[in-house]
Order: sequence, then structure tokens, then C-alpha cells
Amino acid sequence: MLNILVCVKQIPDVDLVKMDPETGNLVRTGVPTLTNPLDLNALEAAVQVKERFGGKITLITMGPPMAEETLRECLAVGGDEAVLITGRPFGGADTLSTSYTIVKASESFGCFDLIFAGKETLDGATGQMASQLAERFDASQISCCFSIEDISDGKVRATRSLETGKEVVEATLPCLITVEKDNFYGRLPNLRAYLDAKTADIAVCTETNIPGLDLEKIGVPGSGTIVPKIYPPELPEPGQIIRTGSVKTDVTRLVELLAEKDAI
Amino acid sequence: MQKSDYKNMWVYIEHDGVTAAPVGLELCCELRKLCDRTGDKLFAVIINPLPEAEEKKIIDCGIDGIIAVRGTGYDFLNTDAYANAFTVLSRKYNPSAIFVGGTIFGRDFAPRFAVQLDTGCTSDAMELDWDPETGDIQFIEPAVGGKIMAVITVPELRPQVGTIRPGTFKYAPPGPRPVVERLEEEINFDPAAIRVRPLNFIPDDADPEMDIANADCVVCVGNGLKDSEHLERYRTLARLLGGKIGCTRPLYDRGILPYKLQIGQSGVMVKTKLYFSFGVSGAVNHTAGVDADVFVAVDKNPDAQIFNYCDYGIVGDMDEVCDELIAQLRAREKD
Repeated sequence: MLNILVCVKQIPDVDLVKMDPETGNLVRTGVPTLTNPLDLNALEAAVQVKERFGGKITLITMGPPMAEETLRECLAVGGDEAVLITGRPFGGADTLSTSYTIVKASESFGCFDLIFAGKETLDGATGQMASQLAERFDASQISCCFSIEDISDGKVRATRSLETGKEVVEATLPCLITVEKDNFYGRLPNLRAYLDAKTADIAVCTETNIPGLDLEKIGVPGSGTIVPKIYPPELPEPGQIIRTGSVKTDVTRLVELLAEKDAI
Repeated sequence: MQKSDYKNMWVYIEHDGVTAAPVGLELCCELRKLCDRTGDKLFAVIINPLPEAEEKKIIDCGIDGIIAVRGTGYDFLNTDAYANAFTVLSRKYNPSAIFVGGTIFGRDFAPRFAVQLDTGCTSDAMELDWDPETGDIQFIEPAVGGKIMAVITVPELRPQVGTIRPGTFKYAPPGPRPVVERLEEEINFDPAAIRVRPLNFIPDDADPEMDIANADCVVCVGNGLKDSEHLERYRTLARLLGGKIGCTRPLYDRGILPYKLQIGQSGVMVKTKLYFSFGVSGAVNHTAGVDADVFVAVDKNPDAQIFNYCDYGIVGDMDEVCDELIAQLRAREKD
């Protein structure tokens, strides 16, 4: 039976995050949250693997206590067990310290054959968590996985999308997989699973109960990068806006301008 | 760790044994400018041999030296041997920074050696700056869906690792330096320890409609599109203009158009004569991927950021404007 870990993240709706013009800080208060969409594709891939080859799915996330919502959403879709890593000392972590924390916390929940993670998050969007998790799990990696052909004899055979085509690869377990969404569109939970997930137990890991956790390697102290400054993008001066009051004359004017420029 | 013990910047040159991927050359050209300010030397790291003519192209980008790596384990691109090579090299030479092109392979293996070296890694910077006081590179990139620009630094650790998307910087070779050092390194990785093996490669069908990077005209459709039924008119407009259709990320996310047509930093960078955007808000992540001689934007929101990037803008319903454009262009053809 395969032991499968799926890494998920709750993110703020980036369309609604604003920057405070006075302080230059991001305003997240009251901004709705969601489960990172690409994580749901990763979960779907894990559920498909479980259905085809048998296995147990453990979900893991790191975030504030409310990140529990994301775990329940994913449990309803197809997780067997869920782990929430939470606590102030974990805050402000970059991918170096987050990957350390997730791997360290997961060790209490088993030794994993397959790890699924979203290709990137919509908020941080570094796209490098998966590779750093793979490195810390001492796992092989298949990124941009298009389809999973077979898992047997300690190996996974899969097809992945590259820049100019598709490559069939064979990787040894443990293996970390990120997926293209084409064959892994997320499914909706059934009512029973949804209700069960609402009351399911969630294991909570904090800085005090993760065995062997090095506090120097988590949160801000464990991060390699910092963000000393954010600012609004500098916008160029607006172009010439054509506003004659009617679509027809607007377009006529545009066509004239483009013709003058030899653009059409 | 003393930051001052770490000197020089490296660029990884991804190649297939025949040609170097353009992103490596782009990075050398950009980092030449940065190294002129910091006083670092710029080295190209080439794993496995490249033909002399290709090496010359890299030298023309103004590098101070080449680190040529040979050994076992590099017969095909794999994260195990390549990450190991950089870890070994970095421990030997202590570079201040290592840059890797943000190809699928580069994004796979660079974050791995950053973990092995226990250092900070950034991705997708659009600009590079340098703070002489701290000696840190400033990786400047759009964040939170393009609403803000974030300056990211690696304040205490070295090397500073960055992956940069292809097409972010211009290939403008400043010419060769008078002296170009050459360091030969042998680093062997046990081929049996490589954990991912390619079995078969199936090239994508050569569909000309998917090849938009250098199309003369691109009609880009954004999240303003109501649904896929409304898409056909934009295809018609693109055909009339002898161009191709593209999209922004939300349309790919909505499953309306394929990833290969997604224009922007995390998709295709396009260089075109005429660019139309319909229903595109103008997030930096998207506009960073557009290099157009003439840029026309159409959107119903007069405050949309896209109007800051256009030459000509029309505020209005995207479908109506498109239909009218088609009608007038057809009438013009008849004249």
C-alpha cells in the first residue's frame, strides 16, 4: 500500500489583497481565503493514484489556525488523515524554512512513497517549494506531470510536459510529483465525505511537539530570503485613449491611427 | 560566514550539446552590467562540452571566465548530478551568486542545490539591482498577482541563488573581454544514483497556431471574456490581421485556451509588431511578457492598468469593439 503525502496551502484571494499606501504593508484583514488551486490538482492526482494502486493519503499544511479549513476541504475530496503545522514561530518563513518544517513535521506521520505538491501558489508564486521539498525528502521528482502510467517495484512511470514535448520518465520512490491540470481537474466531494470532514480529527503540530525540530531553521531565522521592501509597480504614462462616444467612430479612429503607423 | 569571502557571479549555461539555450546568454549579458558595478567576475558554468562556436557566443556576452565541468552523470539533464555539481563547485569556489535560467529543468534543480548549500533562492526576478552598503543583490519581482513589486534579498547567506525566466533580459552581447579564464573541473556522479530516467520523448505536434512568440500580430484575450462561445470573433480578428490568438493566465485557468497560448512572465514572452489586448486588466506578470511595436488595449474599465501600457486604448465592451473592428477591416480590404 502506498503511503501518500499531499502538501496544500491556504492562500488569500490575491485579487482582493491591497497595499496600504501609507505603510506599504499588505492588507490581508478580511480578505477571503481559498485553497491554492494547483494544490487541488495535486490532490486529485493523489486520489487517482490511491484509487488505482491503493494507498493512504495524508494531507499536510502550514499556516494560521484557520488553515484547518483547507485541510477539511481536502479531506472531503479524498484525504485520510490531516496535519496542521501552526504557531507564531513558523511565521514569515520562506521556502528554505517552510520545506524544512514540513518535512520535519511529516516524519511523525510515516515514511512517504509519494509526495504531491502544487506547481506553485498564487500568492507566493516562487514555484520552488516542490523542488526544495523533494530535496529535503531525499526524493526523486517529476514536475509538470501529465499522466501517471504505472507504479510498481519501487518505481513510478509517468509522462511529463516539457517545453517542446512530452517525456516519459521512470523515477524511483520516494518521488515528489507536481502536475499539469489537464488530467487532474479537481473533483467535488460527496455529501457524506463533506459532512465527515467537518468533524474529522486534525493532528496539530507546533514548535513544541515536532521531534528534533531545530528552532533556528524555522520561520524567519531559518529563511534564506527576506523582503525588505514592496512598492506599487511604476506605471508608464497612459497611451492615447480614443473616446468619441460611439464604438463605431472609436474604431474608425483607431483604424486610421493604425494605418498611419503602417501597423495594418 | 563572512559575506566578503564570497566573490564572483556564475551563470549556468543549459545546453543540449549542440546549442546553448538563449536564457543563459541573456543572463550573461545582464549580469555583465551588474558585475561591472559590484566588481565581481562573471563566470559561465558549462557542464559537458559545447561546440567552440557556441562557446564563442557566450564569451561575446562579456564573461570573465568559463568553468568547464566534465565527468560522469551528465549524459542527460537530471537534477541529481547537476545539483550535485553546483554544490561541489560552490563549496570549492565560494561564488557570491549563482543564476540559472528558469526553464523547467532550471527550476527543478536550482532550488535543490540551494537547499544542499543551505542558502536563499529566489525565482522570476524581472530586474536586478545591487545595494553597495550590504553587498546584496536585489531581486525585484512582481508579487501578489502583479499588484505589487517586491524587493527580495539574501541578507546573510551565500551564494545568492536566482532562477530567471527566459526572455526576461535582452540578448545584447557587449563583446568579448580581453582575457577569458578557463577552469577545468572534473566532477563525477555515479550514473546508477540518478533517480529519474527518460524513457521516451514525444515532440509536440508542430501546430503553427501555438507558435506565438514571434508572430507579427497577436490578439490577446483576457479574463473579460464571458465564455468560450465568445472566443470565435477574436480568432476571426486575428486571421484578418494575419496574426494569432493568445490569452492571459485566467483564460488558461478557466480551461478556455491552452497553456502554450498564455502570454506573460510565466508563459510565453511575445515580440510582435501589433498587439491587441481585449479584456485584459494589465497585471505586471502579463505586460512583462509583451514587447510590441504598437499596442492596442480594449477594456470596459477606464481605470484598468492595461491602458498604461498601450499606445492606443478604447474603453468599451470588448465584443462590440472586436465586431466593429472586424467589420471595418473587412470593408477596408474590399476597397
